[in-house]
Amino acid sequence: MNYKVIIFFIIGLILYIIDIGLNNYDDKEIYISDQEIISLVSAWKSQVGRNPTDDEIARIINNLIDEEILYREALKLGLDKEDRIIKRRLAQKISFLKQETIANLPTNEELISYYNNNKDKYFIESTYTFTHYFFSSDNNSKERSEKAFNNLLNSKTINSDPFFLGKNFVDVSIKNINSDFGDSFSSYFENIPLNQWTRPIESAFGHHIVYVSNAKDGYYPDITKILNKVEIDLLQNKRDKAVEEFLNEIKSEYKVFINPNLQI
Amino acid sequence: MKIKGIFKRIIIAIPLVYIIFLGLVYVDVYDSRPIIGLFKKVQSDSALEIVDFSIDKEITEKTKPAPNKDRNAYYGDLHVHTKYSFDAYVFGVTASPDDAYRYAKGEGIKHPLGYEMKLREPLDFYSVTDHGFYMGMIQAYADTSTEISQNEFAKPFHNINRDDNLTVESAGQRSNIFSSVLGATIILPYPDWHPKLLKAWLTKNTQLALQSFDYDIHKSAWADIARSANEHNDPGNFTTFIGYEFTTSTDVEGGNLHRNVIFNSSEASIRPWTRIDSTNPEDLWSWQDNLRDKGVDTISIPHNSNGSNGQMFEMETFRGNAIDNEYAEKRMRNEPVVEITQVKGTSETHPLLSPDDEWADFEIMDVRVGSRPPTYSKPSGSYVRESYLNGLTLDFTKQGNPYKFGLIGSSDTHTGAGAFDESNYWSKVGLLDGDPENRGSIPLAEENVERLDEYMRAFNQPLSTIDLEQGKYANTGFTQWGASGLAVAWAEENTRDSIFKAFKRKETFATTGTRIAVRFFAGYDMSSIDLNSDTLVSESYAKGVTMGADLLQNDSKIPEFIVWAQKDKNGAPLQRVQIIKGWIDTNSGRPKEKVYDVACSDGNKVDPVTNRCPDNGARVNISDCSISNNVGSSELKTLWKDPEFSHTDKAFYYVRVLENPTCRWSTWDAIKAGFKPREDLHETIQERAWSSPIWYVPNPSDVEVIPLGGTIRMRTID
Repeated sequence: MNYKVIIFFIIGLILYIIDIGLNNYDDKEIYISDQEIISLVSAWKSQVGRNPTDDEIARIINNLIDEEILYREALKLGLDKEDRIIKRRLAQKISFLKQETIANLPTNEELISYYNNNKDKYFIESTYTFTHYFFSSDNNSKERSEKAFNNLLNSKTINSDPFFLGKNFVDVSIKNINSDFGDSFSSYFENIPLNQWTRPIESAFGHHIVYVSNAKDGYYPDITKILNKVEIDLLQNKRDKAVEEFLNEIKSEYKVFINPNLQI
Repeated sequence: MKIKGIFKRIIIAIPLVYIIFLGLVYVDVYDSRPIIGLFKKVQSDSALEIVDFSIDKEITEKTKPAPNKDRNAYYGDLHVHTKYSFDAYVFGVTASPDDAYRYAKGEGIKHPLGYEMKLREPLDFYSVTDHGFYMGMIQAYADTSTEISQNEFAKPFHNINRDDNLTVESAGQRSNIFSSVLGATIILPYPDWHPKLLKAWLTKNTQLALQSFDYDIHKSAWADIARSANEHNDPGNFTTFIGYEFTTSTDVEGGNLHRNVIFNSSEASIRPWTRIDSTNPEDLWSWQDNLRDKGVDTISIPHNSNGSNGQMFEMETFRGNAIDNEYAEKRMRNEPVVEITQVKGTSETHPLLSPDDEWADFEIMDVRVGSRPPTYSKPSGSYVRESYLNGLTLDFTKQGNPYKFGLIGSSDTHTGAGAFDESNYWSKVGLLDGDPENRGSIPLAEENVERLDEYMRAFNQPLSTIDLEQGKYANTGFTQWGASGLAVAWAEENTRDSIFKAFKRKETFATTGTRIAVRFFAGYDMSSIDLNSDTLVSESYAKGVTMGADLLQNDSKIPEFIVWAQKDKNGAPLQRVQIIKGWIDTNSGRPKEKVYDVACSDGNKVDPVTNRCPDNGARVNISDCSISNNVGSSELKTLWKDPEFSHTDKAFYYVRVLENPTCRWSTWDAIKAGFKPREDLHETIQERAWSSPIWYVPNPSDVEVIPLGGTIRMRTID
């Protein structure tokens, strides 16, 4: 009895060893399709402008084989596991998938609530209409502008410089004043007095004596006026949110461990 | 029986007729002789189908600033890639066109390496210009939920995708395989008998004949780009243009002939015209002409002539024929402006072409675009100034002037976000050059040397690293790239129409990313204008012509020029303003060029013998990038007369404005990381602006041009 069991066991072992000997290389077989070779050869041809020679075809195929072997060995070593680049690529892929599933057209309620929550985005900035005397920083602008300001108060004629962007500005927003004159200059406009010449104000280019004749306060527009814009923004927002929501949904299933004593 | 026989014959006849028809089509397609022009009548052109991509209603009634008849300078970028470009996708870029436009309006967006990219100051206009070629397709291949990705036939792409998912090294390999695959005009066509081939021919849409192509995905990517442009267009405040890149090259040398196509309205063709349709830019212009007949205006903007190996501005056509008036007019009708500067170098001129110009050695990139291994791009035919001269020479021999274009700059970023600031630079290809080590501005950490070695082998570059004093540096070629540039248009208001018209009349200038502004006028009575008057600009418009225009001969009067430049309010002060003149000496027929300093900072005077300003003393402290205080000017303004003017010589004049020197991005990278800047790179640069030229056009000469052999030409005798 026992003897038979041992015989069976030994036969089984021999078969197993033979099997390993014969089939262990399953994952070391590389199949290269005709199509793969043809497409590489045609790519080669299109780049070089003639058909590759036999030697060159051999080299192309060898390269392909080398690449496949390196790829598999890399997988075996688990090199795909902790690679940030690979992780990021996969993360991007799922993000795309999630973004594609955009929801239906928003309802009025959704639009109104989105508008109310993001009102500042739609704020229409204050605008100003003003003229100015300019004194270039290349030519002693501080002193000249102070002097000119006094002359102006005494109704004497003054000698200023032409400003590159012009003299008169009509209904320009703070953003535009900012881009034309610089931050330090536009910050004066918040509380600028109307219908009088200001003391010299410094910009990135020199000094300016400014006369604001009209200022329109900023306001929040009626939602009906900008409905289409709100709708576009809301849809865009939903696309962005899709990934975020997916993350939030799934996050609870994960536990995160971080070494609290890590020194960086 | 008889009916059966007829039936039989019909059965046999159908494939026969089909084969004969295919045969005729084949001859029609491959034989250049117009044998069966008849067939053209049954063709329709899918690339000429026009779609209005506009959104239903006007977006908003925000206060639109009043138009300025003296025109404002609007700053923008007309060369931006997003995830829809086949290569951007390789570089790990996931920014969408929407992200790109948000960036241009001043919001921060994420770089593929995780840090934030944000502008110091928003831009006025922007155009997302993804590669039209295979637009959206690669994303579809990578996205396993699409039908096309399931197909066996996209083998090369599949392999590449898998590799790409491995490591950053194989991203290089992928784009290597890619450039060879993309080198083909047609990838994996259906067999000749296939009905799809016939459909492709009938609708003039070669793409349909490709097994690797999904037309619906292609169209939807294009529609999404157009949608995004239209949604972000905000007349009066922020302008967008629908656009794409026509990515073509010469067949053998890989001479880069890339161009960006910009549409003037919310309407555009249903698909971009790409190199699959034709690799010949002249065919692109024909398509543009046809679109224009249908009411859709476009311009195409060549770029990276520096990497074209002399092919961008040749003295002959793409097919090697002589340039003639018709060619010149067609080119100028469709290509009014050229991108002179971008991340991949500046194409104004080269030290070998302009040996007497001390500022010619500026951000030179001397290899062909996308060449692996990197291959030298020959300067002649690759730079703007020489092409202006060549244009005059062609005009001299009565062949027309195909090189009478204006100038803009742009970035060519592939991250959706242009890098314009030397002190805050991320180059352009995402993962590949997003950090100083890979850009070659600081030494490689030891653990990265081997990685780079493999990566560069994949890129087919012989030498992966170079040994310098401070260690091993990446030899990636990115050191020749830079933080540049911007397109600037003089327009009445910030709207599509107004800015597009500025491109068409070439009233534009280019900057290296700085916001210098420059005015340039020429006329015969400019000296009567008071330079210190508030009406200087309006009078100049009234009495002269401005950048991009022709100044016609007025007897033997000498032209007078007014230049006015203003510094970037956040940048370095101005150092000098120059006028660069090029002309054909009528007596010798030789092209000549000369650089004149015309206005110097700090009240200095130009030396009339050398035509140079004295050194203003501005210096840069390389240890912290600080610059000299109180040196340089916030604006420069002058009236200039050409001291060597000849009223019979064809000539052009353009302005170059130079800032005081500042640190180059590679220096910023190094000092931020605690290294010394590399000694073999320029430590500082002079940011600059170039205006479009003004051409002086003498009266037509009655000199007859007789080419060699011309004397034996038959002439009609009156």
